[in-house]
Amino acid sequence: MMQLIWNGLIVGSFYSLVALGYSMVYGIIKLLNFAHGDIYMLGSFVGFVVLSSFGGIPASASIPALLAILLLAMVVTGLIGVGIERVAYRPLRRSPRLAVLITAIGVSFTLEYGIRQIFGPNPRAFPVRLSSESFDALGVRVSVSQLVLVIVAAVLMFVLAHIVERTREGRAMRAIALDPQAAHLMGVNVNRVIATVFFIGSALAGAAGVMAGAYYGSIDFLMGFVIGLKAFTAAVIGGIGNLYGAMLGGLLLGLLESFGSAWLGGEWRDVFSFLVLILILTFKPTGLLGNRVVERM
Amino acid sequence: MSAPSARPARFITALLAAGTIAVTAGCSGGLAGGSPDASGSAEGPIALGMLAPFSGSESAFGAYMENGAQLAIQEINEAGGVLGQQLELVVEDDACDATASVAAANKLVTEGIVASVGGYCSGATLPTLPIFDQAGIPMVIPAANSNDLPDAGLPGVFLINGTGTQQAQSALQYAQEQGAASVAVIDDATSYSADLAGAFVEQATEAGVEVAFEATVTPGENDYASVATQLAQEAPDVVYWTGYYQEGALINRQSVDAGFTGTFMVADGSVDASFAEITGEGYTENVVGTFTQTPDMLTGAETWIADYEELAGEAPGPYSTQAYDAVRIVAQAIEDAGSTEFDAVVAALEGLDGFETFAGPLTFTDAHTRDSGGFVIVSIDPESGEFVLEDDLLG
Amino acid sequence: MASQLDQALKHAPLRAPAPLFDRGKPDSGPRSQRGFMRILGILAVVLLAALPFIDASAYTISIATSALIYIMLCMGLNVVVGYAGLLDLGYIAFFAVGAYISGILTTVLDWPMWAAVPATILACILAGIIIGGPTLRLRSDYLAIVTLGFGEIIRITANNLDVTGGPSGIHGIPTWSFGDWSFRDGLELFGIRFSGTILFYYFVALIVVTLGIIGLSRLARGRMGRAWKAVRDDEDAAEAMGINTYATKISAYIIGAVWAGLAGQLMATHLTAISPNSFQFLYSALILMAVVLGGMGSTPGVIIGALFVSLAPELLREFSEWRFLIFGVLLVVVMLFRPSGLWPATAVLPWLRARKPRAWPATAPIESLRDDARNEPAPREGRPEAASTGDPADDEEVRR
Repeated sequence: MMQLIWNGLIVGSFYSLVALGYSMVYGIIKLLNFAHGDIYMLGSFVGFVVLSSFGGIPASASIPALLAILLLAMVVTGLIGVGIERVAYRPLRRSPRLAVLITAIGVSFTLEYGIRQIFGPNPRAFPVRLSSESFDALGVRVSVSQLVLVIVAAVLMFVLAHIVERTREGRAMRAIALDPQAAHLMGVNVNRVIATVFFIGSALAGAAGVMAGAYYGSIDFLMGFVIGLKAFTAAVIGGIGNLYGAMLGGLLLGLLESFGSAWLGGEWRDVFSFLVLILILTFKPTGLLGNRVVERM
Repeated sequence: MSAPSARPARFITALLAAGTIAVTAGCSGGLAGGSPDASGSAEGPIALGMLAPFSGSESAFGAYMENGAQLAIQEINEAGGVLGQQLELVVEDDACDATASVAAANKLVTEGIVASVGGYCSGATLPTLPIFDQAGIPMVIPAANSNDLPDAGLPGVFLINGTGTQQAQSALQYAQEQGAASVAVIDDATSYSADLAGAFVEQATEAGVEVAFEATVTPGENDYASVATQLAQEAPDVVYWTGYYQEGALINRQSVDAGFTGTFMVADGSVDASFAEITGEGYTENVVGTFTQTPDMLTGAETWIADYEELAGEAPGPYSTQAYDAVRIVAQAIEDAGSTEFDAVVAALEGLDGFETFAGPLTFTDAHTRDSGGFVIVSIDPESGEFVLEDDLLG
Repeated sequence: MASQLDQALKHAPLRAPAPLFDRGKPDSGPRSQRGFMRILGILAVVLLAALPFIDASAYTISIATSALIYIMLCMGLNVVVGYAGLLDLGYIAFFAVGAYISGILTTVLDWPMWAAVPATILACILAGIIIGGPTLRLRSDYLAIVTLGFGEIIRITANNLDVTGGPSGIHGIPTWSFGDWSFRDGLELFGIRFSGTILFYYFVALIVVTLGIIGLSRLARGRMGRAWKAVRDDEDAAEAMGINTYATKISAYIIGAVWAGLAGQLMATHLTAISPNSFQFLYSALILMAVVLGGMGSTPGVIIGALFVSLAPELLREFSEWRFLIFGVLLVVVMLFRPSGLWPATAVLPWLRARKPRAWPATAPIESLRDDARNEPAPREGRPEAASTGDPADDEEVRR
């Protein structure tokens, strides 16, 4: 039982990291970035490419190497995210919602099948694997790699919270989320701040991708699709647009899935997640920590 | 309702319509015109059709099958062909998808093939059965082996890959030889995998071996913690994974990490060099697989491998040998029948007795499957990561 | 006194005032948009009917039938996305429902195919209510993901249950039979033999053209269609005008669902075997791409889009690897530069005769004004005629 909880928390950390990016982007420009899950996939492939070019990394150096790659991948995916926003989303900022959503789908397909063309359809083994030594604590088998994962994820989330709450940039983000036009009038460079949001969100997703590659060991071009949906579910559970909600939602979803697949069987796992999503949207659409949003005319 | 100016326009349209029909009625290839010669000309090459996946999730296998078949055709043509005519291969992509395979099958029929030597995904091959049957084209299927295929009861369908039942039998035999008291089985909710898992459970129960649990996982995901935990806790002696290598490798690794110490047996879908790569060093000792013999396991097959590499420019892969055998079987049947006519060829196929294939001597059963599965047990060579022969289950 | 007024108001005939002048009859005939499209339509139908006479090979008939079913599917999504503006990413789920219901009823219960039609319709209406009910209250972005989720739920459920055949799906689905005779028996007419597949092709063409194209286009031009477009363009304004937006959206969704279900039934017959693999999200996205590329809300556009998406993989078999990448890029490019699609809903073909407005007949009061105008001083430059209030202070304002 405790093992189920721990397993759920691990999976939930990935969901949280990706859900944060989703939530941030939605909060600021009210767009569900369909391609966000594919940024996660890009992060893992960036890590794959860089690590493969080194030939071999001794196991002792694996954690420092991984952290270095993590930072690099975060920067690269952040930049890619900014690029996508600039090319595909900014021109459509004044267009109806449908147009932007459809464009996001197009971007998602482009990323997925572009990577497929380059790397092939088969999964690739990630060059660096975290060691699997583990120990038992409280009846739960905890591995060193899992601890590393949780710590890195927690650090990233903490840094993000700091940025959003304490810095000027973060204030600007919250201002745009409340009212873009007023923020513009107050002297906030809306375009730049939106680009920053995309950078941070994509960087987080990229980090999750690298960590998933190192933890699970195998990456393929479709891995972003499912995680994108799950991350959206997580963001909605917690209240979309709310950062703490995204973190909470991710962990909660991981736990729910862990228990759900233990009770119903692994083949119903995704159905279980989607049903949770639909239930939440039907009965509490603002999520657990979300605010009531008044539609302005 | 229409304005006066519309009437001459309508008249013109009607005239055009009638004219189109009148003109096209004489078109050959059309209904009213002469029917095209669909059975291939008497003098030209004999065309064999192959449906294989070249795009989509299974696209890697299409090339292996095509090259294996081409090698056989090349050898047969060099030896003089069949009935004095050369053979040629017509390949179409079925993308492992029912809609695409139906269109592709119709395309092959239109191009006048005489027999089909393709078929990898059972889900994509099933819809093509009635199409080939109605066109009078026998099928020798090298890879797809769902039980639904022979169950369809069509006279021209022959499977040369061991069925799920036979593979499960080999798996169970090995498990019993190892003295396993309890087994478990995991599948990935796809057609072939679920079929095989079901057969294994059925046979194990009949043989009195305890089945600790049956689990299903969703393919394409990375996190198998729940099934890994289950394996570690229930601790069967042998677990049989019937899905593909991507997930199997991860499940193996995560299970061993969670404390599983039994044997991780995989089905032929997981037997691939990438399995060792993904599962990682140090995780391969407990892994065995059920597989049909590949050339590297047979003595004297080095020349075949060399020929294949010369033709294809890469090493042979899964189902290259089956495709190679399928072509040879069809060629032999046509030769025996003395014609390419459906009934004669089918009778010749049924009459094959002990025809030598890579998987052993072949005789078709009444259900048009092979009488012995030809499965062996393979394990992973820690140095190369490749699967090598461990036990040929004959002793 | 008040009641007399009430009575008078109640019985007052509502009569629109007569127009000032006669605008002339709307354009018709081949050189107007409507007439041209009608002729195009007739020609297309003729071509459709003549196709088997040109080329009756199994391959051509097979892809033609598939393309027609695909057109029907895209027309259905056009109602949901194009007319009502609901982004549905799980549309393939209804296709699956139709295919599976008809497949199960005909193989397990041995019903004739036509008897499965009401069952399909009912099942799709139910599915539409279950799926659309809770989700149509949500914003469009949520709707997209939730419908996607539902699509996946239906696919995974079909994959896991035994009654739907599990991952192998259902096979051996029989073709349509009416009493003793079924399509398989073929037909002999004027000395020409029509085989089962060709008869089925005509049958599908008939259904798609009448129900799918003509039926839906009429619906879109009617009251229902106008309500959909109102809701799509501005939901709040539509609500203010008295349209029940929820009912409108649900009706669009259910109609789309039923059309997809019928298309699914036809596809099940065409393929004789169905499996959950054919109902992945990928195919929902492809249908959406067809509608968007062709032109959301426009019938000829959607037909072009559907033909493109269903035939391109066949005609460009060598590029099958690149297919989805190209589609993805096309989608982005189209949305950026031509969001209304290849053949927009409001397009007018450029070479058709533009309506010249008839000259206004002169009426007496205007004549007299013209005489008055001749006697007035010329208006000052750069100032709109109607802005003069006679106050010199205001003129200062305006000039500044």
